[in-house]
Amino acid sequence: MRNTDRITAALLLACAVAFSAGALKYYKWWGAAGPGPAFMPFWLGLFMGFLALGFLFKSLKQKHPGDDWLPRGEGLRHMLVVLGASVAFVVLLKVTGMILGTALFLVGLVRYLGRHGWWVCVTVAAGAAGFNWLVFAHWLRVPLPVGPLGF
Amino acid sequence: MAVCGVTVGILIGALPGIGPPSGVAMLLPLTFGMDPTSGIIMLAALYAGTMYGGTITAVLINTPGESASVVTCLDGYQMALKGEAGKALGIAAIGSFIAGTAGVVLLMLVSPALAKWSLSFGPPETFALMLLGLTTVTLLAGDDPLKGYISMMVGLMLAMVGYDIISGDARYGLGVPEMMDGIDFLPVAIGLFGLGEVLFGAEESSKAQMAKGKVGIREVLPRWVDFVRAKWSIFRGTVMGFAVGVLPGAGPTVASFLAYTVEKRVSKSPEEFGKGAIEGVAAPESANNAAATAAMVPMLTLGIPGSATTAIMLGGLMMWGLRPGPMLFEKNPQFVWGLIASQYIANVLLLIMSTLAIPLFVRALRIPYSILMPLIIVFCVTGAYSLKNSLFDVGSMLVFGVIGYLMKKLGYSPAALVLALVLGPLAERALRQSLIISDAGLGILFQRPISAVLTLAALLAVAVPVGRALLALSRRRAPVGQ
Repeated sequence: MRNTDRITAALLLACAVAFSAGALKYYKWWGAAGPGPAFMPFWLGLFMGFLALGFLFKSLKQKHPGDDWLPRGEGLRHMLVVLGASVAFVVLLKVTGMILGTALFLVGLVRYLGRHGWWVCVTVAAGAAGFNWLVFAHWLRVPLPVGPLGF
Repeated sequence: MAVCGVTVGILIGALPGIGPPSGVAMLLPLTFGMDPTSGIIMLAALYAGTMYGGTITAVLINTPGESASVVTCLDGYQMALKGEAGKALGIAAIGSFIAGTAGVVLLMLVSPALAKWSLSFGPPETFALMLLGLTTVTLLAGDDPLKGYISMMVGLMLAMVGYDIISGDARYGLGVPEMMDGIDFLPVAIGLFGLGEVLFGAEESSKAQMAKGKVGIREVLPRWVDFVRAKWSIFRGTVMGFAVGVLPGAGPTVASFLAYTVEKRVSKSPEEFGKGAIEGVAAPESANNAAATAAMVPMLTLGIPGSATTAIMLGGLMMWGLRPGPMLFEKNPQFVWGLIASQYIANVLLLIMSTLAIPLFVRALRIPYSILMPLIIVFCVTGAYSLKNSLFDVGSMLVFGVIGYLMKKLGYSPAALVLALVLGPLAERALRQSLIISDAGLGILFQRPISAVLTLAALLAVAVPVGRALLALSRRRAPVGQ
């Protein structure tokens, strides 16, 4: 946790400086009537800079390395699989369409996480995909991404 | 609408890992097709439902569905172990009903007066009030105030992205057309609270198998003796809950903790607390419901949300084209009174459903996490997409999901970030307008009495943790010098 805090603080400091500098470089500080678009971002960046400096100082002074926060073993694997599957689901939305994508995503992930029988996976997937279609596409008329099968 | 909201609310609240902010964020897209009044009625009922739903898991499996039910675990779970789960849930339902109804009455009495008073607010008062809201939320949000303030600043910085409201300049767009309109709070909120929680749960679920809930609650209706024993706890919880909830920044969680502490202090048998005292369930449960209702007072009258959930609701109001604040009462009375009336109905429904339908909701706890998690993700994706039919929003929801997971792991406050993101543009406009009319720069904040008091209170909220940290530092150094 301590090392993570140090890295986070350094990153935040860099972002804060870039944010303030960017405001001054690209936007007007003062307009005809009063403060311009650069005014608020500049001050926010400055305050963030101070906070990040304080945080950096605090984490550098900390002697105890702190608890390990990164999950290990099965916890990490589960988290990464859920995240990876979600990213794949979103990236492939344009290809599969929302309804088919939802069904495929659910079958795969429910099967992996719970080791449920295929019929459970398929029932959950079909139910949720149907619900999605009914509520969003049919009632709310949201133009959901459409796949090769036309839904 | 209210029935639907309450039912879904209790279900969502009962599912561990999804609290009121996630529930409201995920269901907000569903209300786009409705008129604003029906939409907010459903969301407000949902909010009330989740507050109670969180209690069910707190009592039955010692896992609070949301943070305001954390204290309920202490005595509620102990009661359940003694075979008194029904009694605990029953008294919580009755306490919630009484507190919620009293809260609505107070909301009805206080809001119009407050709205009238705040009509005299100019930009300096508005800015000072937002400053107070932001600093107190941050102060109360987590264990480490520094991380709370960092989360808030990130939210404010994100709020700067997009067209400047006064000059029209596009800021920090990085050449991405979708970012020119600014970062929408909804994908951010769905990501931080919805997906972030799921990722967190995915990791945890492999560690501990969730305890099975005990079903078959035969006596959910508490006996008259229990009610008599708890009646003052309910009363005290209601009063404290409302008083705390009205303050911008302090929400139901703080109210429930406070009510529990006070109840333990005034009790004749404090040693029973933590071992299944019915007062230890009645007081915090009443307090969190009263506070949830009271949190609507600053949202409706001043346009300042009192909690993460009301911040998301405020964002919803703005998406429907309503401007929360003093004018709302004059311009959209049917909306405001519709909301207030629906709160009464929601409370009655809550009482009926929580006593009659508890066994049904308990069954929802049995849905394995391996099925629940993927379903929540699907709902997050569809919800984020349907805001503007944009895959960019879905992408940003994913990114903020990962950020939300990391924030939770590392002790930052997603609530402060969302609140700052919603309030950021409003605060900027108020600040710049104040400076335009001011002849003393920022001094204008101290020249007018109301804004001076509010600004001082906000500065105090910042100064308290800083002072405490410095004090701790000097104490640590003292022995070395001696």
